[in-house]
This record gives sequence, C-alpha cells and structure tokens, in this order.
Amino acid sequence: MTKKSGKMDRNNIGKWFKSPGNMGQKYSLHALYFCTGCGIIEIPPTITTRWDAERFGVIPVATPRQANLFLITGYVSVKTLRYIIRSYEQMPEPKYTVGFGSCPINGGMYWDSYNTIKHLDKYIPVDGWIAGCMPRPEAVFVAVTHLWTLIDKGMATGYLKYREHYAKYRRNQEKILGELEWPPLFSKEEENEKSREKVAG
Amino acid sequence: MKNPGKKLQDELRSMFESISTEGDGENRMTVKCRKEAVITMLSFLKKTGFDHLALISCVDRLNDNVLELVYILSSYGGDVAMQKLNILLKTTIPRENPQFYTATEIFGNASPYERELHELYGILFRGHPRLTPLFLEREYDIPPFRKDFDTRKYVKDVFDQIPFVDDKKGRT
Ligand code: SF4
Repeated sequence: MTKKSGKMDRNNIGKWFKSPGNMGQKYSLHALYFCTGCGIIEIPPTITTRWDAERFGVIPVATPRQANLFLITGYVSVKTLRYIIRSYEQMPEPKYTVGFGSCPINGGMYWDSYNTIKHLDKYIPVDGWIAGCMPRPEAVFVAVTHLWTLIDKGMATGYLKYREHYAKYRRNQEKILGELEWPPLFSKEEENEKSREKVAG
Repeated sequence: MKNPGKKLQDELRSMFESISTEGDGENRMTVKCRKEAVITMLSFLKKTGFDHLALISCVDRLNDNVLELVYILSSYGGDVAMQKLNILLKTTIPRENPQFYTATEIFGNASPYERELHELYGILFRGHPRLTPLFLEREYDIPPFRKDFDTRKYVKDVFDQIPFVDDKKGRT
C-alpha cells in the first residue's frame, strides 16, 4: 500500500478531517463473528495476538446489531445462506461484506455440490473478495486495507446496492430458500425501479 | 483374552447362520450377515461388550442394485485387546424402496445416524421415533448421496439458473 491509499499515518490526519465520517468507518470495522466453512479456522489467529487484527481497527463482535463488517469465511450451504441473509439484514448501515476464500466466489472446490450455493453475490451484495483456499491471515489485512481505499473513494456501496435492488435480491433468495419467514427489509419496489430506469433512459 | 477377534468369530459362526466374518488380524473385523439377523446381531454384540455404536454408514452399490449398511461398533467396557477391536457389521438392502428396522432400541445414539441416512439415501427406518429432516433445506427428487444423483445437472438446473443482480451503474 502506498501512502496515498490511506495508510494509517500521521501525515494523513489532515485528510481525515476532510471526511471524518469515512475515517470513522474505516478505522473501526467491527467484524461479525459468524463461522461458516473451513475459513473460520483462520479467524482466531487473525484476531488474537499472533496477527492482532486490532492494529487495523478490526475487532470481532458477537451480534450483527453491532457489526459493520461481514466476513463470509468459506462455503455457504443453503442452510447457512438463510442465516447469512438474516444476519446481514440486521447489521446497521453502512455495512461491508467480504467473501473470504474461493467458495463464496464461485463455489471453489464445491462447485458441483448439491447443497452449496455457488455465487454469494447473487443473494447479498459483496464489496470485496479474498481469493485462496484458504487465504492466510495476511490476506485479511490486505483486504481490510483495500476496503479502506474503497471506503475513501466511496466505492464500498454494497449496502446501497442492496437497498436499490432489494427486489431482485429477495427474488433470488426466495428462489433458493422458498418462502422466507421474515418480512422484507425494504419494500419490494421493482415497479419503481423500472419506472425510474425509464425516466433515466 | 489374547485374540478376541478369533474367539468372537467362532462364537458368531456358531450362533448365526450364513454369515461371513473376516478379520484383518489386527483391530478390524468385518461381519457380513443377512438383513434379518442385523438387529439380533447388534444386541448380541452389545451384550458381548461392544457397547459403543460409532457410526452407521451406507454405501450405494449401484452395480449390484443394493444399498450396503455398515454398523461400526467398538468397545469401551472390555479388556484392552477388545477395546482395540472395531467391528464392521455389514448388510445389504434393496435399492428400490429401501426400508429397514431402526437400531435405536439397542443403541440410542443410532437416532441421528438413521435420520442422516434417511435424508441422504432415502432409507426408511421403521420404528424410528423421529425421522424428521436433519441437514437439508431443500427437497431433492433423488436423495443426494445416491450414486445416480447427478450433482452437475442439479447445479446447472438450480444454482446456475439464479441470475446475477447486475448493476447498471457499474458499482462493485
Ligand atoms: S475456499 Fe477452500 S478453505 Fe475456504 S471454504 Fe472453500 S474449500 Fe474450505
């Protein structure tokens, strides 16, 4: 990472004050401690003394209500997807999702499994991916610093995308999971979306 | 008891008809028997000291058109030589409409294994107290662990049919 891309550095203090909101979000990422797949094995060393994620302002929290970073640590089975969606919808905005490992990207080694959803970003928006099977803890920090850059540039907007295309996401979710037992988070305003597109076009 | 496998083999042969036993000389003994004998055999083995049911698993033998059930037993109570011995009790049931009797009366911990097999291989265990879904969230035409379940086709038909949510503004 170069200085420009937002290293934690005193020289940057001036820049922080330009957008204190971004700074606050960048340096206090609260990762939801949600375990799925094999990748979760890498998370305990990442957050504890060996790699100490708190240097980067990342600490794990127990409930989605307090979290703003969602690490999906591995393959997502259909059953897990239900709880991923529930947890994701409970997180306060702004929230960031990072897919950790090859499995959430495209299925990884479970690409032809009967029970693993292949592309996580069909069901919830994902801001970044860490490739690898499984990625090392260092890769989490690379991802975090990249996420800082994205936040700085206003590109980590997965949660806005979720609002905007909620109807499509919900439709995909219901295709796999059947009726969802919780009410829609936003209105399923696909009609509005279409009309807006028409106006824009 | 120097070689519990040997003694047990003789004992089993004298008690049950048309079984085949085969030990690897060390710590594993395979017993194949007809399906009628399984429940009796399990309770006999439990009385003999093999008081721990480690696993019930299933092999889909597509070519022979049978499902092979494997009960793996080990011992906590016997002497050291016995504790080292694992018994693989195998039996076959037909593939079409597979049904079998539950072993929960003898080993209480058979319950989750049988639920699992019910779900993944479609075996109906009669007399099971609670044969409800255990892992799976979706319905499958063919139970997914059967060899004739085409996972690739299933993936193409289900997961690949879900469209990506594309974003016109080109945001990540
Ligand atoms: S990417 Fe590899 S390590 Fe991660 S969940 Fe998939 S198989 Fe496991």
